[in-house]
Amino acid sequence: MLVKLTSVAHVGLSSVPVDVEVDVAAQGFPGFTVVGLAGKAVEEARERVKTAITNSGMEFPGKKITVNLAPADLPKDGGAYDLPIAIGILVASGQLLVNDTVTNAVFYGELGLSGDVRPTKGVLLVGLFAKKHKIKEIFVPQGSAAEASVIDGITVYPVKNLRDLMGHVMGSAPIARLKRKKKEKTEDDVVEFDLSEIAGQEQAKRAMTIAAAGGHNLLMSGPPGAGKTMLARALPGILPPLTPAEALEVTRIYSVAGLLSSGTSLMHARPFRNPHHGISAAGIIGGGSNPSPGEVSLAHLGVLFLDEMAEFPRSVLESLRQPMEDGVVSIVRVGAHVSYPASFTLLAAVNPCPCGYLGHPKRPCSCSEKQVRKYRSRLSGPILDRIDLHVIVPSVETEKLSGQAGSVSSKTMRETVIRTRKIQEKRFAADGFYTNSQMKNKHVKKYCALDGETHRILKLAVETYDLSARGYFRLIKVARTIADLAGAPAIAVTHMAEALQYRSAMGNS
Amino acid sequence: MTNIAPPIPRLRDLSSPPKQLYYRGTWDEALFTKCAAVVGSRRMTQYGRMVVEKLVPQLVEAGFTIASGFMYGVDQAAHRECLECGGRTIAVLGWGMNWNGLDREDKNLMEEIEKKGLVLSEWEEQKPALWTFPQRNRIVAAISQELYVVEAAEKSGALITARIARTLKRTIWAVPGPVTSKTSEGTNQLLADNLARMWLPVRGAQKNETAVTNPLVRLLETEPMHASDIARALGEPIDKIGAQLSLLVLAGDVVEREGTFYVS
Repeated sequence: MLVKLTSVAHVGLSSVPVDVEVDVAAQGFPGFTVVGLAGKAVEEARERVKTAITNSGMEFPGKKITVNLAPADLPKDGGAYDLPIAIGILVASGQLLVNDTVTNAVFYGELGLSGDVRPTKGVLLVGLFAKKHKIKEIFVPQGSAAEASVIDGITVYPVKNLRDLMGHVMGSAPIARLKRKKKEKTEDDVVEFDLSEIAGQEQAKRAMTIAAAGGHNLLMSGPPGAGKTMLARALPGILPPLTPAEALEVTRIYSVAGLLSSGTSLMHARPFRNPHHGISAAGIIGGGSNPSPGEVSLAHLGVLFLDEMAEFPRSVLESLRQPMEDGVVSIVRVGAHVSYPASFTLLAAVNPCPCGYLGHPKRPCSCSEKQVRKYRSRLSGPILDRIDLHVIVPSVETEKLSGQAGSVSSKTMRETVIRTRKIQEKRFAADGFYTNSQMKNKHVKKYCALDGETHRILKLAVETYDLSARGYFRLIKVARTIADLAGAPAIAVTHMAEALQYRSAMGNS
Repeated sequence: MTNIAPPIPRLRDLSSPPKQLYYRGTWDEALFTKCAAVVGSRRMTQYGRMVVEKLVPQLVEAGFTIASGFMYGVDQAAHRECLECGGRTIAVLGWGMNWNGLDREDKNLMEEIEKKGLVLSEWEEQKPALWTFPQRNRIVAAISQELYVVEAAEKSGALITARIARTLKRTIWAVPGPVTSKTSEGTNQLLADNLARMWLPVRGAQKNETAVTNPLVRLLETEPMHASDIARALGEPIDKIGAQLSLLVLAGDVVEREGTFYVS
């Protein structure tokens, strides 16, 4: 007897329907074959399904079983087809009766040998797929079901094990449907480091506020131990929370990557990714034969922090250029062409020189000028050109800080940032982007009119520092954000002058 | 283009003058009439840079040509500062004229020097080696009437230059440095042993009124500081201080290096 069920395959962030056809032949030698470009994990489904069925108290038919996963030319991988295959076999062998539940639903989940259904990645996308294709019911692993709870218009059944699912299909013991999460209370996210915990470094904190408010990329340079990493970790705490639409977008990426912890529905905190400098280009951009998202996509709408940026391989840094420009990363592999969103704020930290102590008040720097130049040349070029803010984080002499009142807390800072972002959203409503950092030159001309005195200062700065055209526009963009932070409608001299503090210190522009 | 230099009278003071001297640039006797050497450590600190920025303009103002050894650190800073304030400078190389191990920035500097001054070397093809630098130093010492040592560690090329200059009876000046700094041990020792005169900058260089009364400028007169430290010391918000600093730097009242600010 032949049975057809529906499941889902993911190609990047899009989902494709997969028909799982199971045939238990009346004649022929006993056997179990899976066809349809099944990957290794799908091939192995035979053993998992066989054992799971037996351990669930049912009988595995000693007949010729053929499973076809259609479309035949789409590569399929992962354990998510275990559940539809198992149900298919039970129906095809007559142990379950065919009914609407079986034919009109999506089954998705990996089986354990005991018959338990294990958490499986990509459940959120299954829910979105079902909604789009007007499929009413989905059966997904209990551990991952929460992901789909935010989607309205579908019924989500969290499946604990195969035996429960059979009970549900037979109608003897229906599984309770998952309650749809309305609006989760946005509990204050736990902030790893509060800005007020970090003593001194007023300028770096100010630069971070500007970066957060205007979506600018930020480079911090300073000696080891100055607090660069700690400052970086405080950045997520001053970023505005994700909007519901943004949260869904981010959660989709994490769902596909299988990085959502069990029971999570939507992510609320902006992602903060901190890859080690040993990372490969495929790791940062995304890769694999069915490409999975890389760090740039996992940092989507959040922060990508590159500590010791000069230590990253050139190829990795170069590969950041395209996503930084487009906000999307396209990965091409033999079997697939996939795009993932990758719109992130780059936060980079570097030492000022190879030994790290250049400009240190107490410790001598043991590098020659030539070594310093060479070290910096590793960073120069296109990536630095895309970083609007450069700030020096000096080492702090603790005795100078004693008795200092704590600075503003992350919470206050965050409110300022949110207010400033609102101003920008309003300004760019017709332009299709959100922050000052995304302005192109024509927008700069349109939104950043400068009065005579401000223009004079800017011109003087261009001459003094020999700024490139790109550096010129960068300055104006930063000045725009500083003006917005102050709530000023026009850029004033003081805003432009402050922006000058954050121009590139790395030499090239 | 390498040319053979005409004889330089002062080189005859040396017990072993160079047999041959090559040059690039335009030969001008007048360059040697009033010539001061500024030498010092390769590991120049920020203090050293500040000293060069004060010392060299004063020498140029007094009509001196600045001679040095074209090494990174104090030497190159002296060449650069000299060009910046419109002076003429002589670079004596510690390697052959045609050695092509220089990076782009060195080449650019050398071209700038050639425009108005001279690049000298006693070799054509010699690669830099441990012995070539002291050899070069004797020429630096000999062509100048006065020698200024800015930052030199206990054992350094700059002290070798000073020793040669002493045997040649040149006037030697040393710039005192912090006693805690390794790169000032050599210069301070020269002063302690009475082997050099102490150079101090000319006081009372005129500043414009507003800058002098500005509390920020007055604060920076005592020591170089980071923007954050300034904000804390003055109790003002960092955005205001940052804007003020930028304007002061653009006006030329304050200088910024590696994030620290000091009065020019």
